[in-house]
Amino acid sequence: MSNAIEIHQLHYRAGRTFEIKDLDLSVPAGAIYGFLGPNGSGKTTTIRLALGLLRPLAGRITVLGDTIPENAPHVLARVGFVPEQPHLDPVLTVRETLRFQAAFYPAWDWPWAERLLRQFELQEQQPFGRLSKGQKGKLMMLLALAQRPELLVLDEPTDGLDPVVRRDVLSALLDYVSQRRATVFISSHLVHELERFCDWIGVMDNGRLITAVPMERFKNGVKRLRISDAPPTPDSPPFVLLAREPANGTTETWLVRDWEPQMTRYFESIGAAVNDVIDLDLEEGFVELLRTFRSPRS
Amino acid sequence: MFRVMLYSQWKWCRLIVVLGSVAGFALPLVSVQGAARADSSPLQAGELLQAVQSWGTLYPVLAAALGLLVAIATWAPDHRGRHVHALSLPVPRWRYVLLRFGAGATLLAAPVIAVTAGALLAAWGATIPAGLQGYPVALAIRFALAVLVAYAVFFAVSAGTARTAGIILGLIGGVILVQIIAGVANIDLDLFGRLQVVVLNWPGPLAIFSGRWMLIDV
Repeated sequence: MSNAIEIHQLHYRAGRTFEIKDLDLSVPAGAIYGFLGPNGSGKTTTIRLALGLLRPLAGRITVLGDTIPENAPHVLARVGFVPEQPHLDPVLTVRETLRFQAAFYPAWDWPWAERLLRQFELQEQQPFGRLSKGQKGKLMMLLALAQRPELLVLDEPTDGLDPVVRRDVLSALLDYVSQRRATVFISSHLVHELERFCDWIGVMDNGRLITAVPMERFKNGVKRLRISDAPPTPDSPPFVLLAREPANGTTETWLVRDWEPQMTRYFESIGAAVNDVIDLDLEEGFVELLRTFRSPRS
Repeated sequence: MFRVMLYSQWKWCRLIVVLGSVAGFALPLVSVQGAARADSSPLQAGELLQAVQSWGTLYPVLAAALGLLVAIATWAPDHRGRHVHALSLPVPRWRYVLLRFGAGATLLAAPVIAVTAGALLAAWGATIPAGLQGYPVALAIRFALAVLVAYAVFFAVSAGTARTAGIILGLIGGVILVQIIAGVANIDLDLFGRLQVVVLNWPGPLAIFSGRWMLIDV
């Protein structure tokens, strides 16, 4: 099994305005895959489709080698899921919630759950409904990890949490991943957070996957170039030109994807010159990518 | 799995179940209160039957109320969480629904047992005039069936979305509207009467609720 999640030609419609159409997505096994996108881009819907919580109109979904939604129960027994909103029974205490969850998961690991309970400093007798947002986030992560999943699907798990809680939750996640080599599929719009530990990145907007590449390639491949004497219509460049803007005089700023250093030769061949190659961090690259996707020609 | 589901539902339903059990236990005893007094002469058979019958109208009401409230409480945690937790558990959906249904039905055994105990105690302690007999077991079985029917109906309705509720309310509204229009147009159409016959008369689905609920009868 080379991919933990494989989505092929997925089609789903919610209401009259939102649609996921012809979505193809692959999450390599063992990867930490960051699923980026602005609010309302379709990240949560894609996750719910991948786990069989929603039924697609068309397409094929395979998770951990089994098809979804046909084999959803079998797959879900091996998947730790942290949804966007806390959804647990508010009247059950923390301890009762653990017991409830443990009854459904054959691989539930009590010693690990107890360790996380102490590590997260959660009060056992506190009802879920009375926990703070940070405590709820910790408990959700605890539940996902204690079932010893092969795949963790996390839908904005740290959204709205303070930095201390966020660090606790993410470090528990990374501990687990380093021990078990589990696959992580984590959605977020907190770009800088994903930058630190993801090795793959997928960007979604308006129900479509704009790009899906290894993190290094994304970070190293998106550049801002300062170009002199560029022709009005460059002839088949070896990179993807995302945007070009006039700077001053004969100088322009180009935003490009799939950039490699030897490509400066291309500019010499068209009579232009590269004055400067500026690195973008993930957040800048993400923003520029979205901007060019939404208005393709600048 | 069933045990944790039962416990979860107990936390949501305990007040309903406890109050329903107390009411269920008290109802048969109260209905024969006059006949059970040791210091007064036994009521005449007719008066006793009348008293038992008037209290008896409360059994189907109690059964329906218990079915409704426990059904609503059964789905409450899932509705609150928009069913995300339920759907993400590694069990087939039909099995999850059965677990929920079974847990609620098990909790409803408490008021049924309370009615049985109350009816047995009332029948044993009452001074029953000649020609009349106590039917505590029959009453308890009927109550159990009525509770189960009410619970099943409301469980199915509560399982639905707001859209389902809208469809049901729309149907009821449609029947009322047709009846009003028929009345205004002087058309001889008694939809409610017909519905009542279809639903509440044997073999209608809610026939168990109609008729006399008698702890003591001829």
